[in-house]
Amino acid sequence: MTEILAGRLSHSSGVAPGIRGWQRVLSNFGVFVALAVLLVILTTALAPQLITTANPNAVSPAEAFQTPSPSHLFGTDESGRDVYTRVVFGAGNSLLIGIAATVVGLSLALVLGLLGGLGNRLGDFVSTRIVEVMFALPGLLLALVFIAIAGPGVVTSTVAVGLSTAPGYARIIRSQLRSVRNAGYVEAATVLGHSRLRITLQHILPGALAPIFVLGTLGVGQAIVWASSLGFLGLGVAPPAAEWGAMLSSGRTYIDVAWWLTVFPGLAIVATAASFTVLGRALNARTRQEVGG
Amino acid sequence: MSAPRTVLFPLAFAASAALLAGCTAAPEPALEPVSGGTLVYATGDAEPGCLDPHVGGNYPQALISTQYIESLVSKNSDGEIIPWLATEWTESDDGLTWDFTLRDDVNFTDGTPFDAEAVKVNVEHLKDPATASSTGYLAVGKIDGIDAVEPDHVRFTLSAPDSALLESFSQPWVGIQSPTALEREQAVNCESPVGTGPFVISDWVKQQSITLERNENYNSAPDDAQHTGPALLDSLEWRFIPDAATRYAALQSGDVDVIDNAQPNNISSATSDSGIEELNAPRPGASNRIELNSGKAPFDDIRVREAFIRAADVTPGIESLFFGTAERSFSVLSSVEPAGVSSPDAFTTDADAAKTLLDDAGWDTIDSDGYRTKDGERLSLVFPVSTNQSIPAEQSLFEQIQASAKDVGFEVTLQPTDLSSWYGALFTNEYNLVSAPYTKVGADVLRILYHSDSIIPAPSGYYANLAQLSDPALDQILTEASQTSNEAERQSLYAEAQSIIVDGFYVLPLYDQQNHYLYSTSVEGFRALPTVSAPTFYDAWLNK
Repeated sequence: MTEILAGRLSHSSGVAPGIRGWQRVLSNFGVFVALAVLLVILTTALAPQLITTANPNAVSPAEAFQTPSPSHLFGTDESGRDVYTRVVFGAGNSLLIGIAATVVGLSLALVLGLLGGLGNRLGDFVSTRIVEVMFALPGLLLALVFIAIAGPGVVTSTVAVGLSTAPGYARIIRSQLRSVRNAGYVEAATVLGHSRLRITLQHILPGALAPIFVLGTLGVGQAIVWASSLGFLGLGVAPPAAEWGAMLSSGRTYIDVAWWLTVFPGLAIVATAASFTVLGRALNARTRQEVGG
Repeated sequence: MSAPRTVLFPLAFAASAALLAGCTAAPEPALEPVSGGTLVYATGDAEPGCLDPHVGGNYPQALISTQYIESLVSKNSDGEIIPWLATEWTESDDGLTWDFTLRDDVNFTDGTPFDAEAVKVNVEHLKDPATASSTGYLAVGKIDGIDAVEPDHVRFTLSAPDSALLESFSQPWVGIQSPTALEREQAVNCESPVGTGPFVISDWVKQQSITLERNENYNSAPDDAQHTGPALLDSLEWRFIPDAATRYAALQSGDVDVIDNAQPNNISSATSDSGIEELNAPRPGASNRIELNSGKAPFDDIRVREAFIRAADVTPGIESLFFGTAERSFSVLSSVEPAGVSSPDAFTTDADAAKTLLDDAGWDTIDSDGYRTKDGERLSLVFPVSTNQSIPAEQSLFEQIQASAKDVGFEVTLQPTDLSSWYGALFTNEYNLVSAPYTKVGADVLRILYHSDSIIPAPSGYYANLAQLSDPALDQILTEASQTSNEAERQSLYAEAQSIIVDGFYVLPLYDQQNHYLYSTSVEGFRALPTVSAPTFYDAWLNK
């Protein structure tokens, strides 16, 4: 996903795709839905107690494997825990991992990208080689290697996902900085005799880093999916904490007797990741138009 | 999931129609064993790091090595020791000398003859620290001297009488391998150990499968086998499919013929599938149980141990998670062990009693998360769980125990890990609770698991006494039981030992070590060897 974006963003600085304002963006029904879904999920993540008063870890073996009903909207799992409550409480963990991983990835990428985009030749050489080495390993494999070294857990899986997304971001940031550095207005500022620091802070960074926000929004969706993948492999949160990927994994054992154990957390992952992607695309379209205009 | 079945049905129908057309007189297809074909076995146990069961010595190794390595004696379905590579044996009056007469017509699959010298080399191999054996090492622990008197006569001198010697020798971990093959480097022998068994390892694709070919010169079947001479199958394919749902789906689709470690929900749905049959063969030795590490705080206090056992609500979870395929056990020993004593009264659940016990033990303050504390320290228990050895239903059961323990103020931290990290946690004593299946033939498993000597690590680093139970009185009883040849006395000593273990709240029994095989109805003659319930495919053939 990031590779496609890289191409798109680096071209965007030159060509204006036409005048499209916020209204146009908001009038898009898809964005509305995405925003609404994200609002619900964010509320759920921040204050699950608003949505449900039940305890996600309350075990009741006698009520195991109950089909969805008014008393248990999403049914119950193998230990008689309410799946709805666990999906609600899982939002916090899944979202936290997704967002934190993206922040970790972007921060690391920012350091590498700045070094490559604005540093001297040596800096560029070093950062580009680091990024290339990281690219040599597929993202999820990189995450798994990191977990194998650091041990499973929420923090390590967050850092692992962040780490594996970093090289993609770093490349984008570097090329973005490079193209802005050669833009007409930067050249003009140089001719006017502004200091290097002033040019960097006032002219290069704002122009180059605006798309990072967009990238981040798009990245969160991907990071949630990856974090769920790690949870699915049993490398995420420790039991009994609810996390969508881990729920999917434990529910899979019973897929022939209890479909609701996998369908609901699966839907939650899809809805969240899709919403972030729709929103990210809309923001991307707007940024392109802004940069161009 | 119904798709494979719809394919299977017409096929089965066509096959039976063809058979019927062939012999109109017989309504049932004649069950005359047919030679040939490859049987595909899918295991959910961990892939062994070494195929030589002397090295380490765990159940995954027993499962596969039963196909190519044989033991001196075996056990029949009545639980009696029967001849195998040894034809007869005598014990001296003082119990310190054992004489075994060996078969003189058997060769290992590399051509080396099986004889007394080979037996000697094998026992020495087990005792050699460089082998890093644990199960086999413990099993031959009392053997002091080995004497190859004649090619077909071996004499063991023991340091103390051993009433469990024959049971020990029946185990796959004490199987006899070619001395020529054992001379190779361990890494090489691990890849291709050589025995006298009905199959020979021909290829091992790591993380995928092991291929075994028929031993054409095989002549050493145990007495309780259905036929003599070489096996019926041309070859065996031993696949590693760790994921239970995938394994079951592979069986349903006909991709594999036999699976082990079947999941409770799959076993229950297989009963309504006419194409699949079940073989339930509980493993001998210990039951599946949770050990409470009494070697360190907080379980060095018997009140805290009792509180945990009173708090853990196990039975309802077993009923719902296992779909009626497992029964709650109240014994340290497997239900197939005649010496096992069931004490349901010792394991009653009583949250109030648990709370009182914890109050008495000084864990009387409760922190903001609802956990008990003492001197500012939280009542925390670390519970490493091997995801290779614990099936999902068992892991869910542990979560339920975690929840019921929380109700009285225990913080249980479940740490699901792979097998090697799990061993790591045990070796470094970083656990308070652990569930470690232990299979051994006979009640002498109690000595292995709870004698204080077993806190000392075996050469592999493993120590079996994970409860770290150290009680001189118990040691005395277990030693006596292992030395007496009086069966009645032996039984009563084991009963006494079990009551000490149970009354000291060192163990929370859950259920028998589950060992459910599911197999296609096209597989005939498949059984579990009564020693440790590992599968044997010597008599098996494909009715396809």
